[in-house]
Amino acid sequence: MNEKEKKVRSMKTRGMIADTIVHIVLAVLAFIWVIPVAWIILLSFSTQKGSYVTSFFPKGYTLNNYIRLFTDRNILDFPQMFMNTFIIACCCCVISTFFVLSMAYCMSRMRFKMRKPYMNIAMILNLFPGFMSMIAIYYILKVFNLTDGAMIRVALILVYSGGAGINFYIAKGFFDTVPKALDEAAYLDGATRFQVFTKVTIPLSKPIIVYTVLNSFLGPWLDFIFAKVICRANAKYYTVSVGLWKMLEKEYIDSWYTCFAAGAVCISIPISILFVIMQRYYTDGLSGAVKG
Amino acid sequence: MAIFQKRVKEFDTPYAVSAAVKNGNAATKLSMLIMGFGSIAHKQVLKGLLYLAAEIGYLWFMIQNGFNCLYHLITLGGQEKVEVWNEAKGVYEYSGGDMTILFLLYGVATIFVTLGFIVVWRANMKSAYEVECLAKEGKHIKTLKEDIAELLNRKLHWTLLTPPLAGILVFTILPLVFMICMAFTSYSKVDDRLTIFNWVGFKNFATVLGMGNSIGKTFWSVLAWTLVWAVFATFLNYLLGMILAIVINRKTTRIKGFWRFCFMLSAAIPQFVSLLLMRTLLKDNGLINVMLMNAGIISSPLPFLTDATWARVAVIVINLWVGIPFTMLQVTGILQNIPAELYEAARVDGAGPVTIFFKITLPYMLFVTTPYLITTFTGNINNFNVIFLLTGGAPTPVGSTAGKTDLLVTWLYKLTVDQQYYNVGAVVGILTFVILAIVSLLTYRNTGSYKNEEGFQ
Amino acid sequence: MKRKVVSLMLTATMAVGMLAACGSNDNASSAGNSSSAASTSDASVAESTGDASAAEDSSASTEEEAITTTLTVWAPSEDQSADSGQWLQTMCEQFNAAHPNWDLTFEYGVCAEGDAKSTVTQDVEGAADVYMFANDNLTALISANGIAKLGGQTAEAVKNTNSQAIVDSVSVDGSIYGVPFTTNTWFMFYDKSVFSEDDIKNLDTMLSKGKVSFPITNSWYIASFYVANGCTLFGEDGTDEAAGIDFSGEKAQQVTDYLVDLVANPNFVSDADGSGLSGLRDGSVSAMFSGSWDASSVAEALGENYGVAQLPCITINGEEKQLKSFAGSKAIGVNPNCEYPQVAVALASYLGSAEAQKAHYELRSVIPCNTELLADPDIASDVLVTAQNNTFDNTSIIQPFVKAMDNYWTPAENFGKSLVSKEVTHENAVEKTEQLNTSLNSSVVE
Repeated sequence: MNEKEKKVRSMKTRGMIADTIVHIVLAVLAFIWVIPVAWIILLSFSTQKGSYVTSFFPKGYTLNNYIRLFTDRNILDFPQMFMNTFIIACCCCVISTFFVLSMAYCMSRMRFKMRKPYMNIAMILNLFPGFMSMIAIYYILKVFNLTDGAMIRVALILVYSGGAGINFYIAKGFFDTVPKALDEAAYLDGATRFQVFTKVTIPLSKPIIVYTVLNSFLGPWLDFIFAKVICRANAKYYTVSVGLWKMLEKEYIDSWYTCFAAGAVCISIPISILFVIMQRYYTDGLSGAVKG
Repeated sequence: MAIFQKRVKEFDTPYAVSAAVKNGNAATKLSMLIMGFGSIAHKQVLKGLLYLAAEIGYLWFMIQNGFNCLYHLITLGGQEKVEVWNEAKGVYEYSGGDMTILFLLYGVATIFVTLGFIVVWRANMKSAYEVECLAKEGKHIKTLKEDIAELLNRKLHWTLLTPPLAGILVFTILPLVFMICMAFTSYSKVDDRLTIFNWVGFKNFATVLGMGNSIGKTFWSVLAWTLVWAVFATFLNYLLGMILAIVINRKTTRIKGFWRFCFMLSAAIPQFVSLLLMRTLLKDNGLINVMLMNAGIISSPLPFLTDATWARVAVIVINLWVGIPFTMLQVTGILQNIPAELYEAARVDGAGPVTIFFKITLPYMLFVTTPYLITTFTGNINNFNVIFLLTGGAPTPVGSTAGKTDLLVTWLYKLTVDQQYYNVGAVVGILTFVILAIVSLLTYRNTGSYKNEEGFQ
Repeated sequence: MKRKVVSLMLTATMAVGMLAACGSNDNASSAGNSSSAASTSDASVAESTGDASAAEDSSASTEEEAITTTLTVWAPSEDQSADSGQWLQTMCEQFNAAHPNWDLTFEYGVCAEGDAKSTVTQDVEGAADVYMFANDNLTALISANGIAKLGGQTAEAVKNTNSQAIVDSVSVDGSIYGVPFTTNTWFMFYDKSVFSEDDIKNLDTMLSKGKVSFPITNSWYIASFYVANGCTLFGEDGTDEAAGIDFSGEKAQQVTDYLVDLVANPNFVSDADGSGLSGLRDGSVSAMFSGSWDASSVAEALGENYGVAQLPCITINGEEKQLKSFAGSKAIGVNPNCEYPQVAVALASYLGSAEAQKAHYELRSVIPCNTELLADPDIASDVLVTAQNNTFDNTSIIQPFVKAMDNYWTPAENFGKSLVSKEVTHENAVEKTEQLNTSLNSSVVE
């Protein structure tokens, strides 16, 4: 009896020690990850001018960087860029997710002649550097009259989502783990394959949908190479990343550096909101559905 | 070869194109010329008309533009622009002036359209033959409605795959073929061949593969560093990200959401911003060096991004900072998806956490995430942003075209966009591709998730 | 949802669209004019249609036939910004008003002068009819068929209103390609409370008195040291492509040695990513090298101690050598694909005229290059104008823009970085200078 109690107690202490260590390590790591984020937030409130910063905490705090970012629309029209990017990102999100899930489902669940060759080809296609295709894509879009005026937005949506189907691998790996027995049960109930896809597989695949949605939503916020090539001189259709990139050019960097930080913070807000919402799906999405 | 044949047989159909040509009746054979004829003859009017429309559209296009495009693809044009002084207006007027790059692109596009047409033509033959056979056997011939219903059921892959594949074809494969073509031309600033250029055969391959010149030598050294980088960047990221996710997922870890949030925060900042941020922090006169110097810990700045070894380590570490939150996000979902019975069974058998990790978690994770690993690996090989924004390839030795941290992809960027050697760049792109494709295909085909897709069902 | 449908349909109908549009070039040019970034000039439209008939009668005496068209004009965003008086829009409207027979609508795009090379050559047909470029972009623009020659009156006007150096900067093989509107070079900003008028004549004197920041890792700046000691780029006048870049022998090694010492000097600060300007602001640096684009920030940072001057000398082996910057110009070019070249050329000519340059100076402090304007006492008394013109006249060379110049930038930049990272030392200076010279003169593929 006594022995057993001791054992339980020692296990408890060991667990406590392990927990403490884990939490300390996590805290240190979290600190490393948060500190640059904190710095850019501080910088965005800094009164300091110029791009050369020598202290962690700014010498004074102000909201002017944000005010300027949203009101000084003459040279770099940030609100417009923000809207452009937001619209493009939302459309991309929908199209890419649809493409990726369709491809992944077919590759995972359907059996047809060209399946394995497709999968092999898709994998090696990713090995080609994307920017080499920049000019070709520009001229392809030009053939469809998509490189001028408001159509530039459509062009950018196509650029970011058109080839998205190729990145189906992760989703396919996920679908492979969803039990096939569920599909078969549905077929017995007379469901078509399309119904199984939409009513059985997709509801069980929240994590991977979240992942795909996030990735495709992020694309337009991050790319500046394609956006620059497609927009050319049409400043009205610049995306945020082109704008932020411009802020760091030699003519602008000195006066726009802190605004650059403010812009970065502004972009991060919708993305972090998305992350927070998605995280909830992560934690309670799966536990019940698959294993019951 | 044997494997290949076996696979074809697995999906064998009695309604093959060759059988249609050999055994089909007059209506089916006429479909070879007049598409959709066989279908119309068997009362599938709408279907037949669609095929016919496709044929007319294709022919119209070929006559309008297609043949011209193909002709230009072979000649690549060569007409210089004509300059005329117009005295009345006081201006120079210009006319003509071929843009070879467009001839190349449109020529390749025409070939794609033609290939697409061949696919439609084959489908037309198959469907004509199928309907003929069914009619002969007195079986039910599908109505249009049934055909459509079929597309949502047995042939669902046609419906679901067409849009993404069309996108991939136009935005990935077409530009790719176009790029491959560039490798066989004189498209570069050498001899001013940027507007009008010509086919030169394998000359550029000789330039790159010949070890005698700077391109050849640089290629192999850049390739070596690219592979080292990709291995470290991928596997460190994967392992550390997974361990982090497992640690946060532990039952006794408190405030899970908070920890995840901390790490996700850095992922919310656009990658290029955080990379530029890191660059400013690590510069010789950046914040980290200044603070360390002010604190008296070091006397001269640490060469984070200016010394070859420091820079290489720095880019890998920064890549971890950027990548781990994403890995964590990705892995968390899959970890939660591991069947709980597996764990319970292991616990009943008295396995400790380390044993469970190696016997259950890791195999399961590897099974599910091999595709992920391969995509990240290839993604890292082409990880343009991290290198371009952090170091720009620096430090570059005097007299070299590639820096010590340049990956093949950033080096390619310098060769093409900065220096306009498009043809040589394309050759480097192709060689890289061939090497990587072989490596990753071999790896992938030997993994569990490829050979045994139902392993964890 | 609607967008999704539209985009899906687009993707699905790609192949069909390809049928219709592939290969037809006329399609593209009509698309070029349909930008919705347009800003139209309604007032002048109404005005000029009324005058159209009147002008027809006098067509014998004027050069103008009636033309209604849309012109696309690309300029930097500051030229279009309401903060600095919308110089571009104002000028274009005035131009339209001055030509009653022409009914012009303008579309404006944003393209900095230095980006003309990449943005215009990417798609010449779809590029602006009239655009601004930095003169070092000229050869690239010519080889991409992206710029039209100017002749007749227009060329005469350029020759008559500019100094020979400026005219040369926009000429290739004797033909003029653009209407210059400003000079483009860099010079020195300094803190008057630290350096006296005498100090600023020699960089080494300055280094002994205060901290000096120099963008040594930027290839536009580093050449000045080598040129000072007799190294040349493409012959004496920078147009002899066969002569190549001569950074060889003892004259270049002496400079490398000088630079190794310079970088090691505790009073020297390597200027990158704006650290020089920040240094001036917080007082940790007392002099920096940059151009007119930083003038207002520097003036604000230094207040009444604001000093600006031509480049100083350096002392190599006891001899004073004059640093020489690259100088060039910015000019207005015309797209050879434009529909009405006479209109485009006239507009380019107008945007580079004395009147427009004056407005440019008043609204945006863009330093004029028109010789008459420079004589104007108001403009001549501006210290910035004086400094820039002195630099242009006394302490600069015309930045070569022959094609082989493309090989200069990257190796030179890397050499600067190697100096800063102490990879180049006194011991290997000879060897590294040789390597530099070789890579400056060889293209990668040979």
